[in-house]
Amino acid sequence: MGIERPFWRAIAVFRVASLLYAAVLLAQHRGYAEPLTGWLVIGVMGLWTGAAIFAYSVEALRRWPLLVLDLLMAVACLLASPYVEGARPPGEGTMPVPATWIAGPVLAWAVHGGRRLGTVAAAVVAAADLWLRVRGTDAPVLINGAVLLFMTGVVVGHVARLAKQAEERMQRAVEMEAAQRERDRLARDVHDSVLQVLALVQRRGQELGGEAAELGRLAGQQEAALRALFIRPAPPPAGVMDLRPLLMRYGSEQVTISTPATPLVLPGPVAKEMAAAVGAALDNVRAHCGPAARAWVFAESGEGTVTVSVRDEGPGIPAGRLEEAAAAGRLGVAQSIRGRIEGLGGHVLITGVPGEGTEIELTVPA
Amino acid sequence: MVRVMVVDDHPMWRDGVARDLAEAGYEVVAAVGEGRQALRVAGAVLPEVVVLDLRLPDMSGAEVAKGLAGMSPSPRVLVLSASAEQDDVLEAVKAGASGYLVKSASREEFLDAVRRTADGDAVFTPGLAGLVLGEYRRLAAQPAPAEGPRLTDRETEVLRLVAKGLSYRQIAGRLVLSHRTVQNHVQNTLQKLQLHNRVELVRYAIEQGLDAD
Repeated sequence: MGIERPFWRAIAVFRVASLLYAAVLLAQHRGYAEPLTGWLVIGVMGLWTGAAIFAYSVEALRRWPLLVLDLLMAVACLLASPYVEGARPPGEGTMPVPATWIAGPVLAWAVHGGRRLGTVAAAVVAAADLWLRVRGTDAPVLINGAVLLFMTGVVVGHVARLAKQAEERMQRAVEMEAAQRERDRLARDVHDSVLQVLALVQRRGQELGGEAAELGRLAGQQEAALRALFIRPAPPPAGVMDLRPLLMRYGSEQVTISTPATPLVLPGPVAKEMAAAVGAALDNVRAHCGPAARAWVFAESGEGTVTVSVRDEGPGIPAGRLEEAAAAGRLGVAQSIRGRIEGLGGHVLITGVPGEGTEIELTVPA
Repeated sequence: MVRVMVVDDHPMWRDGVARDLAEAGYEVVAAVGEGRQALRVAGAVLPEVVVLDLRLPDMSGAEVAKGLAGMSPSPRVLVLSASAEQDDVLEAVKAGASGYLVKSASREEFLDAVRRTADGDAVFTPGLAGLVLGEYRRLAAQPAPAEGPRLTDRETEVLRLVAKGLSYRQIAGRLVLSHRTVQNHVQNTLQKLQLHNRVELVRYAIEQGLDAD
């Protein structure tokens, strides 16, 4: 996770700066009541600052023991304040000896674990701080420090979490792009030559006849399957889909798919339902005209509509046959397709001429 | 004898196509595997028909088709494509190719397509008809559709039937037209598109040229 590193660097800078600030404060107050103890505390803070900066920079060390130790160090230095400043602080508004340094672990917890851990760390440090103030003075208890600590914990935790999520998303996008590039490369380099050979085998096989023809037929099937595999999935804007890749899957030696070169955009569920209806129509062709029957799927866009027609060259439907079946309550596959498409606000046109095959035209609003 | 050139980077496929053509009585004047080479050789051997694979190592099929269309006399180009690279096919056809066939087509279909290409007819698969219809629709939807080419109602009707897999004979029967008329309609749709494409290219060149001054 590369995004965390800048956070840790920023925290390191903060620790050093607030260490210097604490030292300056101590010097200004001439060491308060107990200068020796005061400088001892600053020394401990300095050592821990160095240790913490190093430890947080190593990913393997960024674990619970370090986080807890960090927090304990801050609280310990904070609680050492009365021994330096005397039981009662010299005046209102005086900071404890570590001053802003106690926010270090709050930042660390927030960056490591987000808003919630940041809040927990802030609560611990703020509790210690408030306890000092409550017992130390009769003046009203200042809660500014506590509020700032909570704010630090929540805001930094939130931002750190957002940054991590953004980085993860970016990572995923990069991976997807790499996958697409690889797919393109395969399509370019491998796909074309393999398709060529499969097409060649198919063609020669058909000419030779017999077993070779069977091999050729198998090669043809594989060619169609491979071709479908490499058709680019169009990058779908939210909620809509390109109907073409869904239809292309039905392409085979028997089934020819014709589409425009531009996307046929439909709302996602409509596209899926439409593709399913086309699939049902093709199943119907196979059921009525046999597995070797040819079929043509043609998709086009109209004025605010998308139309797909499925045509076969079977025996066709005698005039009035459909109405007859519907009247008799026998709703065939064609009728169930009609129900589906009409459910989408579209309409279905079935034309059948005896001897010239059947054509089912499905139109839905785009 | 009709002079044919084969352009395909796959040696086995190239030889197979050349053999089929020779057996069917065509004179295969050249068989090459690269686009630039194809343009060079075509200028020397002057083929009447070029059987062009879209996927070549050095140039796109559309570029080769454009180069061939710019020759004088320009050969007729039949595009053979293994993959369903729709944009590529459309580009090649707009650049001047007069027919398109998938490589998985049978030998008879292929020879028939070459014969029709040599006769000057457009060879439309249902797939190509779908692409051409889509292209006209795309042009009509553009901001200045008045300038773009338009299909007549009859042409649209014919192309839609081609896209639905009907043969010219079946279309002629259904629309009560002659076979020749159907063929002419199909031909027109392609020529209008190619003309529009050339006009666009010239306009683009002029705009670029004016900008450069």
